[in-house]
Amino acid sequence: MIFSPDKARELLTRVIAMREEGELSLLLCAERSLGTRFNGCAISQNILKFNATLRLTARVGQRRASLTVNALSDDDVLRRAVRQAHHLALRNPEDEEVMEEPGEVFSGPERARSESAEALEIPAIGSFVAEACALGSVAGVDLAGLVMVTKGLKAYADSRGGLAAERYHRTDTHITASGKKGSGWAEHQDHTLTRDNVVDCARRAIEKGLAAQNPRELAPRPMTAVLEPQAVGDLLTSSIWDWDQRAKDEGRSAFVGAPEELGKLSLVSDPAHPAFPTLSFNEDGERYSRSVWLDKGRVQQLMTPRFWAKKQGIPFKPFPSNLVLEGEGHSLDEMIRSTEDGVLVTRFWYIRSVDPTTLTYTGMTRDGLFRIENGKVTGPLVDYRFNDSLFRVLRNVSMSGKPVPTGEYLDAAMPALKVEGFRFTSLSGGL
Amino acid sequence: MFQIVQEACNLASQSGCTYADARVVALRRQTLHTRDRAVDHYGESDDRGFGVRVLYKGAWGFASSPILKIEEVKRVVKQAIRVAEASALAPRQGGVQWAPEPAARVHHVSPRQTDPFEVPFDSKTSLLLDASEVMLKEKGIKRARGYLLAKEVQRWYANTDGSEMFSDVISTEAEISAVAVGENDFQTRSWHADCRSGGFELYDRKKFVVEAARVAAQAREKLSAVDAPSGEKDLVLDAHHLGLTIHESVGHATELDRVLGYEVSMAGSSFVSTDKLGKFRYGSDKVTLMADNTLEGGLATQGFDDDGVPGQRWPIVEKGLFKGYSTGREFAHAIGEARSRGCCRADHWSSFPIVRIPNLSLMPGKESCSPQQLISGVDDGLYFEGMGSFSIDQRRWNFQFGADAVWEIKGGKLGRMVKPVVYQSTTPYFWGQCDAVADERHWRPVGVMNCGKGDPMQIAQMTHGAAPARFRKIKVSPGSVSA
Repeated sequence: MIFSPDKARELLTRVIAMREEGELSLLLCAERSLGTRFNGCAISQNILKFNATLRLTARVGQRRASLTVNALSDDDVLRRAVRQAHHLALRNPEDEEVMEEPGEVFSGPERARSESAEALEIPAIGSFVAEACALGSVAGVDLAGLVMVTKGLKAYADSRGGLAAERYHRTDTHITASGKKGSGWAEHQDHTLTRDNVVDCARRAIEKGLAAQNPRELAPRPMTAVLEPQAVGDLLTSSIWDWDQRAKDEGRSAFVGAPEELGKLSLVSDPAHPAFPTLSFNEDGERYSRSVWLDKGRVQQLMTPRFWAKKQGIPFKPFPSNLVLEGEGHSLDEMIRSTEDGVLVTRFWYIRSVDPTTLTYTGMTRDGLFRIENGKVTGPLVDYRFNDSLFRVLRNVSMSGKPVPTGEYLDAAMPALKVEGFRFTSLSGGL
Repeated sequence: MFQIVQEACNLASQSGCTYADARVVALRRQTLHTRDRAVDHYGESDDRGFGVRVLYKGAWGFASSPILKIEEVKRVVKQAIRVAEASALAPRQGGVQWAPEPAARVHHVSPRQTDPFEVPFDSKTSLLLDASEVMLKEKGIKRARGYLLAKEVQRWYANTDGSEMFSDVISTEAEISAVAVGENDFQTRSWHADCRSGGFELYDRKKFVVEAARVAAQAREKLSAVDAPSGEKDLVLDAHHLGLTIHESVGHATELDRVLGYEVSMAGSSFVSTDKLGKFRYGSDKVTLMADNTLEGGLATQGFDDDGVPGQRWPIVEKGLFKGYSTGREFAHAIGEARSRGCCRADHWSSFPIVRIPNLSLMPGKESCSPQQLISGVDDGLYFEGMGSFSIDQRRWNFQFGADAVWEIKGGKLGRMVKPVVYQSTTPYFWGQCDAVADERHWRPVGVMNCGKGDPMQIAQMTHGAAPARFRKIKVSPGSVSA
């Protein structure tokens, strides 16, 4: 199967040559995912997934349409797909926003690739999980989670000369340790994975799970919240679709009436960022470059696709490859020590927009909420629901840590944050 | 295709697997997005492959391939067995207890009068673009969007029980929305057309135009909506809104794999522990919720599940009493049931089947009752229409829901539109406060196409039918927090 960039480029070049008229761009996505799911300190599923899809986008002037297939080994099928994509494009009405293919050639380093992850197979992953499960059994907690390694390749080509192919690895380890009355959670997100990463993750989850037993109720109110990096990632990445320059320019965005300054931190996307490097190009063959969304708290130009950039005469800023909140480097311990009356949040759950006009979100704490009193963690609490505006949260950050990789919606690196007056609104009871 | 799945089962049996099943799945999609007067995106996809699941020495193995050739089967079966050997590195005490199921032949083709894949492209685009034109005529509408999906899933299934099954399910979905922009404000209103297993006959062109005009006018009306109240209010919820409430607070809560801890690390667990079966009061005696994977046009009506169990109908809640779970063959034993309810589904040929919410519906009231009668019985309350913000904890206990549009009810009559407002409650309290459900004339199926569960995430579809219902004394609060 296709995992060599050379072979991918060869395939795409061959398919581009099948084009008879109009323009054509191709996106090849190939992924092999190996995962072990477990619960109750036992493996419940081992997963081996493989698929490779080819998206063919035909353009005739301002008309465009796409076709995606996964039967890639038969040139007759591919030739038919090229013709069909062209036919679909011809049927489409013209759209002034359709842009030319970028035609850019990429030859940069494969920043998201890991040789050690490449070597991993299911038996090795299963053995890491078995060791973690044994730790859970000894500690008397149920361990549940996923250890997943994805080996992927993305390649792009277009009939205006564009060509790119990069391999990547993505590993996702997250573990919940549950006792009878409470749970803890830990994760490891990276391009690579070792036995030590999984065991360390299990130990952190167990430690937190044991500490989270028998939580007490504390009436919800606005209070100081020390948010661990995953909690920050949960909240910030939920909002990413709202960081849209066109929506702002057209009055359809909370950023229209947003405060000039949103705290003092910088939010950036950068494919070469050492905290979480990514591919060099996106699915439309456009180059990812460093974009600054917040510069020391001041809102900069938001996500701007090529059509809008051209129309407005402003720089192109694609949907981000990753999201990094650049903190000030305080340690979690420093944040806790400086808190007289507050809580420590491990992560959030089920964050949803409540009011897009103020970027108000709701969600709940999960898998480890702890009371902080006079600079010390004094015990577990029953989970809270919050309702708060992201703008307000950013403005109320009083301390921040160093960004570390976090997972879920988007590759991200987030610091822990200390937020004053975080609006907890009810007890969730979601032990 | 049957040759591939039969060969996989034979090879697995010969290799010492105590159980195996195999699925060839062909997935076809057409998606159309419109933006104002333009087609924003049109795409088609065709994705096919097969997956083999084996139970080997008491542990599960699974492998898959996009190469639909008989010579590929041997490699994939071997791989699945290797995976099962890795699963045995941390075995479950007592192993897998697999509920028996008689061998069966099933051939299921979902109803459709007009195959959406055969409908001329212009008919589809004009359905959405005509609606856009109507929405853009309303003053203050700055963006009109449309979405149309046609999806066909064909499955060829066999297992070592001797079952051989085929299904062909076509589902369709459509939505339009309008964004109104005012002074330092913007508001969105949307309308979901019928979403179910069926063809293009579900979509009435005139209905789209009528709804487009309503959506646009109400998006504009939202700009001048009154501030949201707080405190306890009586609520009347429309069927579309209730679809989501049912889904989150009943559907997910009664998936037996969650209850047993299989999803605890991501989707979560459930407060509906097995000791509650047959005893727990889930709601008032007005509340009956039926699971029905034989419901005509239901999005989870697929003939059989990926454990090879035919679709069934059973009560989840009956007159307020908790009566049943959604189960698969691996989990039925945990509640002393000999047979699975047939709820295990995978979202792709490369995915491992997991328990999914069935078609699950709030049954209509038995006495004659209209939505207007529900409203007339409220002195001070709110009427919620459509799906809005939704969030529920990982045990499905505490939730907070908003709507696409909300109106005041004053003195038994609908009043002014209200700015974003949410209600917040706990599952048994909320359903316990239901004092009336409109009758069957007002019952309608609500499709959910994007239910996420599993780790890695799988996306499933199902239907939740409901008639509008009334809930007394539910806590509400403004949805907006000042920046």
